[in-house]
Amino acid sequence: MARAEIEWDPSNPFDPGPCISVVVMNSPEFIEAGRAVGLEFPAPHPVQALLDTGAAVTVISKTFARFCKLRQTSAGTELRVLGSKYLAGEHAGAISFPGTELRTFDLIRIVSADFEKEPNYACLIGRDIMRHWDIRFDGRSKRVTIID
Amino acid sequence: MAAVDPFSVELRVFERHRREWSRSHRGEYVVIQGDVIAEGFFDSYAEAFRAGLRKFGARHEFLVKQVWPTEPVYFVS
Repeated sequence: MARAEIEWDPSNPFDPGPCISVVVMNSPEFIEAGRAVGLEFPAPHPVQALLDTGAAVTVISKTFARFCKLRQTSAGTELRVLGSKYLAGEHAGAISFPGTELRTFDLIRIVSADFEKEPNYACLIGRDIMRHWDIRFDGRSKRVTIID
Repeated sequence: MAAVDPFSVELRVFERHRREWSRSHRGEYVVIQGDVIAEGFFDSYAEAFRAGLRKFGARHEFLVKQVWPTEPVYFVS
C-alpha cells in the first residue's frame, strides 16, 4: 500500500489548494513505437498538479501538452467551468508521482485546456484518477494523505 | 491557407455512425483514422489506444472516441 502526504492550508488565501508533483508524458508503448519510426520525445519534466475533486477528468494545460508532445486522440471535448464552456483536446498519456510510491497511470485519457493566468499548477488531477485512491484531509494538521 | 480542424474527418465518420453504435456499443470506445474504422469496439480507452497504435502506427494521429448518444460535458469547478 503506497502513501503520500501533502500540505494544504485552506485558511491561507494564497495557498492554491492541495498540490502534488506529477510527471506527464506519453505512454511507454507509444514512446517505444514512436522512437522506432524516428519520433523524438522530451525528457520528463515534473510540474505541480492540483487535487481537484470538482474536476470530472484530469486536465493539463495546452501549453504543457504541446511541450510534452502528448499524442492527441480527440478534439472538441466540452468542459464546463463555472458555467463557461471550453473546447478541449484529448490525449493519451501517462502520469506518475515522483518522490512518492503512488502507482503510475501508464495509459489514460488526459484532457488539455488553456490555463489562463494560473502560476501555481499546470495540471488538475480529476476524479478519474482520484477514484483509485483513499484521500483524507486533516484540517487541524493541514495535511492531505493519499493512500493508494 | 485555413487551418484544418484536428480530427474533423474522423469526427464526421463518427457522427455518421453515432446513432447506430449508441444502440449496440454504448459506452465502448472506437478508433478511427481518416475514414478507416479499426475493427472492433473496446471496453477501455487504454485498450482502444493500444489497438489504434497496432493498426495505424505511431506516425499518424488517430481518433479514440467513446460512444454515447450525445456528447458528454465534463464539469470542472
